[in-house]
Amino acid sequence: MTTRVRARRGDPALGAIALLAVGLYALFIVVPVLMSAWKSLTNENPLLARAGFVGLSNYREMAHDSALADSLGFTLLLAGAVTVVANAAGIGFAMLLNRTSLSFRMMRTLAFLPQVLSGVIVGFVWRYILARDGILDHVLVSLGIIDKPVTWLGSPHLAALSVGIVSAWVLTGFTTVVHLAALQSIPVELYQAAMVDGAGRWQRFRRITFPMLAPGTTISVTISLITMLKLYDIITVLTSGGPANSTQSTALYIIQLAFTDDRYGYASAVAMLLLVVSIVIALSVTALLRRREVDL
Amino acid sequence: MRRKRPTVVCLAAALALTGCSAASTGGAKGGSALTYLTFETPSLTATFWNTSIASAEKKVPGVTVKKIVAPSTDRDAYAKQLQASGQFPDLLQSITPSTFATAGLLKPYDQKWVNANFLLPLGNAYKGKVYIPPTNSQIIPEVFYDKKLFAKAHIAQPPKTWAEFMSVCAKLKAAGVTPVELGGGDPFSASMPLTGILSADVLGKNPNWLKERYEGKVKFTDPDVKAAVGKYRTMVKNGYFEDGALGVKYADSITNFTSGKTAMYMMGSWFLGAVPKDHADDFGAFLTPTEDGSLVVPFSVGGSMAISAKTKDPAKATAFAEAWSLDPANYKALIEGDGAFPMLKGKTLDDYGVNVTKVFKDSYSYVTQQNTKVSSFGWATNDDSMPSGLNNAFYAASQALYSSDDVDGQLAKLDAAWDSATK
Repeated sequence: MTTRVRARRGDPALGAIALLAVGLYALFIVVPVLMSAWKSLTNENPLLARAGFVGLSNYREMAHDSALADSLGFTLLLAGAVTVVANAAGIGFAMLLNRTSLSFRMMRTLAFLPQVLSGVIVGFVWRYILARDGILDHVLVSLGIIDKPVTWLGSPHLAALSVGIVSAWVLTGFTTVVHLAALQSIPVELYQAAMVDGAGRWQRFRRITFPMLAPGTTISVTISLITMLKLYDIITVLTSGGPANSTQSTALYIIQLAFTDDRYGYASAVAMLLLVVSIVIALSVTALLRRREVDL
Repeated sequence: MRRKRPTVVCLAAALALTGCSAASTGGAKGGSALTYLTFETPSLTATFWNTSIASAEKKVPGVTVKKIVAPSTDRDAYAKQLQASGQFPDLLQSITPSTFATAGLLKPYDQKWVNANFLLPLGNAYKGKVYIPPTNSQIIPEVFYDKKLFAKAHIAQPPKTWAEFMSVCAKLKAAGVTPVELGGGDPFSASMPLTGILSADVLGKNPNWLKERYEGKVKFTDPDVKAAVGKYRTMVKNGYFEDGALGVKYADSITNFTSGKTAMYMMGSWFLGAVPKDHADDFGAFLTPTEDGSLVVPFSVGGSMAISAKTKDPAKATAFAEAWSLDPANYKALIEGDGAFPMLKGKTLDDYGVNVTKVFKDSYSYVTQQNTKVSSFGWATNDDSMPSGLNNAFYAASQALYSSDDVDGQLAKLDAAWDSATK
C-alpha cells in the first residue's frame, strides 16, 4: 500500500491532471466570484465605460429593497417546499423501483428523464399543459373534478404552486436515482434478521431503510436545495417571474437588475448575497444531516 | 477609475479573428462593413430585412451590412448585452434612444435632414436631439371594438365619455358578452388598459407629468393618478374583463378578440396589422374615453435605426441609415403588418402602395388631424420615456392591480422604483 501511494505521488501525469482541475476551477468559479465581489462594490452600468467605487452602499441598499425581500422569500419558500416534496417522492419511487427485472430498469430510466431534459424544454412543455384551456384543464374538466378551466399560471398563488410542482417533478428524477443507489447498498441480511424478529413493513422502513438512506439523503437534499436556490430557466419560460412578480426568484431578479435596470454593481451585490445564503444553508443542512449519519 | 476588461478584450480579439467586428474598414473591396441589429416578427420577416438592407446597400456604394438578429423583440436588452461584451453594433433598429444616448453611445442625426423629411421632426427627440429618424408612429392604446357584438347589445355608437364607456361595458355584460379582452399573461399586454387611462386622464390634463416626475414635482401616489387607477379597478371589480385574464397570453388575446369572444380590446395600433382582412369592416376603433369626452391621443413616435457613436465609419453608417429610412418600399411591411402610421413628409398612403383596412384609415386620421396628442404612458421614446427598469415595474403593478385592491401600495412601489432608477 505504502509503495503504491509513493508511486502515485511521483506520477507527473496525476499532478498535471490535478493542476488542470484546480486551474479550471479557479478560472470558471473562483475568478468570476472574485470579479463579482469586486463589482458589488462599484456602481457599474453596462452602458457606461467607467464605474465608480461605492464601498458598501449596494449592500446597504439591499436592506430597503422590498423587491429583493419578496424574491428572496419566494426563493427560500420554494427551495424548502420543493426539496421536501422531491426527496419524499424520490424515496417513494426508489422503493417502488428497487427491483432488478428489465421492466423496472426501464422504469428507472423513465423516472430519471425529467432531470435529463433542459429546463427550457421542461418550461415550454409545462406551459402548454398548464395553459388556460390547456391539457390539464381539459383532463380535469372531462373528469368532472373542476367546472371550468383554471388559470394555473394566471393568479399569483396558483402560479407559485405551479412552479413548485414543475420543479419538484424535475428534481424527483434526481432524488429517485440517488436514493435508489443508497437503497441498493443496504445489506439484505439486515432485512432478513428483522423479519426473523417479526418486524413488519413499516418497522423495517423506519428502523432500517430510512436510517440507512441517510448518506444518500444528505447528498440529495443538499443538491436539491442548491438547485432550487439558483433556479432560473424553468421560471423564465413558465411564468417569466409573473404575474405581478409573484414567481420572481432571486436569480431572475439579478438578471433583471443587470440587463434591464443597467445596474451591474447592485446585481453583483445581490448575487453575492445569494451566494452567501446558499453557502450557509448548504453547510447547515449538510452538518445537520451528517450528524444523523454519525448517529447510525 | 479605469476598468480593466480582459474578457471583453479576449472577445473582441476572437471576433476580430472571425471577421465579426463592428464597422471594419478595408473589406474585400476596400469599403465599410457595418453591423446592424434587427429583430424579427411575423410581419418583419428575415426576407423583409434582407431585401431592405440590399436595397439600401445599393444606394450607398462601398457598404456591406452584416445583419444581427435579436433573439427576442427586446432589442434594448440585447443591445446592452452586445455593448457589455464589446460588440455594440454600428446600427440598431428601433431601440429606446434615451437609454443609450444618456451613455453617449449614439450619434444624433443632422437636424436639417430630419426637418426636411419627416412630419414631426422632434417627435422622438431626446434632450433636443434626434437619435432615430421619426419614420412612423403608433397610438398606444386604441380601444378596438367588434361592431357586431355592439349591435347585439343594442349599442349604436362607441362611447366618448368615461360614463358612457362604463354604460357600454354594463350593457355588453348584460347581453352575455365579455366587454373587454385582456391579455394579462404577458406583462406589457396586461398594462394596456392602465396605459390608456393614465394617458387620457393624467397626461391629458398635464402633458408634462412625466417630465415633472423626473423633477420630483409629482408622484404616482398623487390623487389624480390614484383616481385614474381607481377606474381600472372598477373595471376589474365589475367583471368587465374575462375570467382569469392574467392567464391569457398576448397572442391568445388577439385570437379571442378577432374571433368574436370579446367586444373590446385595448391595444397598441400595431393590432391593426392583425385585423382579419376577410371581415375587417366588423371592427372599429375609438380612443380611451375621458371624463368630459375630450379627445386625447396617446401617441408614440417610433423610428428606424440609431447610429452608434463608436462606429468606425460614421459617414457610411449615416448614409446607409438615411437611405433605409427614406425608402418607401420599407414602409409597406411596417404599415400593413405592424399597423405603423408613416411619418414621411409629402406622402399619402397611396404612395406606399399599401392595402389597408377602413379601421386603419380611421385610426390614421387621429395622427394627421389637429388634436390633443400626449405621450403614451410608458411607451414614449422621447423626453417622456421612463427610466430603465421602470417599464417592468409598471407592467408588474398593472398585473398586481388586477388582483389586488392595494392601489396605494402599488403606486408607492412605483414611486420607490422610479426614485431608485433615477438616483
